[in-house]
Order: sequence, then structure tokens, then C-alpha cells
Amino acid sequence: MPVQGIRTVTTARNGVGAFILQCKQLDFHYCDWAGSSRGMVSFLKHHLPSFAKANPQIEIRVSPRPHKHPVIKGHYINGREKAICVRNLEPEQIFNKANLLKAASGEKTKRTKKPITSLNESVRGIWDPFHGGLKSV
Amino acid sequence: MFSRTALARAFAIPTMEQPCAAAARFSVARACLHSSAASPAPAPAPTTQTQTQTTHPESPLSATPRAQTSTPAPTPSSSTIDFKKPVAPTFTAPLQLTPTLLAQLPQLTTQQPHYIISHLHDRPYLLTQGDSIRLPFLMPKVKPGDILRFNRASVLGSRDFSLKGAPYVDERLYECRVRVVGVDSEPLRVKEKTKRRRRHVQMIRSKHKYTLLRVMDVKIKTAEELLREGAVVA
Repeated sequence: MPVQGIRTVTTARNGVGAFILQCKQLDFHYCDWAGSSRGMVSFLKHHLPSFAKANPQIEIRVSPRPHKHPVIKGHYINGREKAICVRNLEPEQIFNKANLLKAASGEKTKRTKKPITSLNESVRGIWDPFHGGLKSV
Repeated sequence: MFSRTALARAFAIPTMEQPCAAAARFSVARACLHSSAASPAPAPAPTTQTQTQTTHPESPLSATPRAQTSTPAPTPSSSTIDFKKPVAPTFTAPLQLTPTLLAQLPQLTTQQPHYIISHLHDRPYLLTQGDSIRLPFLMPKVKPGDILRFNRASVLGSRDFSLKGAPYVDERLYECRVRVVGVDSEPLRVKEKTKRRRRHVQMIRSKHKYTLLRVMDVKIKTAEELLREGAVVA
């Protein structure tokens, strides 16, 4: 008997029932020596504990990255990651960047014209000239 | 260096972001209807888009908060309201149903997939359950996980029937909830600006942010529900 894949019955639509934040992990990289990391080090010391406490669903990792600019990296459920360089930024600005990464969907940025994307079939169906409201010549 | 499991994440979200229960909200709405019926027309009805943060009634994880807050509380005490919870809408009169509407409403409510043309900042959005919306703007004062209730609709419909408002349908006839999923941004736009006779090109950069929403449910209330909630047949 050949191996058969499990057929998907439903598609995942986050937020319809349960909601899962798309950002699953935030990496904070800093350098102990460089001046561009001064704001980052201050953020890690004073703001990060409260930020982590407010967002228990996000895994937070802090690691040094010597001789490089400080970076925040967000890892998302769809497998993508977003990195923001926070060199020479103040702790408040870094906080805003962390919030940006937290709220992001993880998708590649693209311009869209239509506001709504739907997986559902059209509720009213497709117009058909042979059904309903027939006109006699 | 924190490391938390997905299980902890799954448990943490509903307790944080669903503070109040659906039972409380329904009782609030009913209380509003009754109180408005008792005192006719003290103030004009609000016509703004209210944002309600409540639990989804069908949400599987909202079972415990609902059980906790099922004690009779017709008006929520001010201590339990967090600052984000908007005031409940105050209606000056109970919902008026005409006999023809009451007779035809079952045809609409029983035909299942429903759509709604909901208006947000006077722009129409045709929504069905499960749709994802990327609003053309960044909605202020919301965070991912919040639940909004859209209360402006011009059309409620199913495949064969539709209920049109003039210009809007009364918000007590339906429930349309959306969840804030996140904030998206667009690729950087660069606009080249030039002036005449000047060899200089100005590069204007902009990068807008947009709020992502997900339609949780589009529900048109049945006639029995409306009558139970205090609608008056006139």
C-alpha cells in the first residue's frame, strides 16, 4: 500500500478561534565594548525584564555579538525572521523596535491594493445569465 | 536568557488578553435595552464605531473566565474595567422590528454562509467569517489579540437574501467580531521630487504601517434572540 499524505481538512486561520502571536522568539545581540551598543545595554538592563514579563509568549534570548552593531532579530511562526539594527539608538527607541517586531506578522512586506483576502467561496455565487431574472426578447 | 515552551505560550495568551467574559457582555447589552425601554430618549444614540474587547463566544479557551464571571452583574463595576474597555452603547429606544421583517428574517438567518458589508471610516468592507483584512491605515490603541466589534453595516446577506439598511442596519441585529492579528508594513516607497531648473532630486521616503484583522464571526441574530434581548414588534 503506497504511503498517503494526510489530507488537510481545514486551513489554519489564526485568530478565528484561538489567536497565536506570530512572533515566537526575539534575539537581542549586543556588544560590551562598542559605543553603538550603549542604548542596547541600557535597554537590556532596565527595560527587558518588564518587556519579557509582559510578553510571556515570546522566547527571549540575549547574546553578545562582539565588534558588531547591536541587532534585534525576530523569529516568526512561518519560518521567516526579521532583523533590525539598533545601533546608536536610545532605549526607548529600541523598545519601539522590539514592539514592532512583536506585532509584525513575519510575512515579506508587499504592497496590496485590496484590503480583504478570503479563502471562502463567494457567498452569493457567480452570476449566471441562464438563471434568475430571465428576460424575454 | 528565557526559554518558554509553546504550551506556556498557549496558556498565557487567553488569560492575558481575554479578561472579560461573553456572559457579562450579553448581560450588559440586555441591561442597556431594558433601561432604555424604561426611560425614553435621554440622549441621542452614539453613531461612532465602538471597539469592544470581549471574548469570542465559541472560543474554546474562554471556558474558565466565563465560568468565573457568570455571577449576575448587569452593570460592570468600575474596578474590573481596564482602561481600554469602551463604554457600552446606550440605546435610547428598544429595537423596533416590523412584522414583515420578523416574518422574513428566518429566511436570512437560516441560510448559512453570511456576509456583511461593514463600514469603517465610511469605507465598505465585504466580510465573511475567516477573512483577513489589511486595513489601509494603522489603527491606533489596539494591540495584537484584541477583539473589535464592528457595529456599522449597510448590508447583511446570504446567498439569496439580503437585509439592507438605510443607510445602516441597526447594530443590534447582528454581531461581527474581528481580531487584531498584527501590524504589517509595506516596502519602502521612494518618491523623486524635482524642481524646475534645479539639478537636484529630492528623494522622499515613506513606509506605512497597516493593521491586520481577522474576521472571527459574522452572525445575524434570529428573531427569537432579538425578542429575548428586548426588541419590540411595531
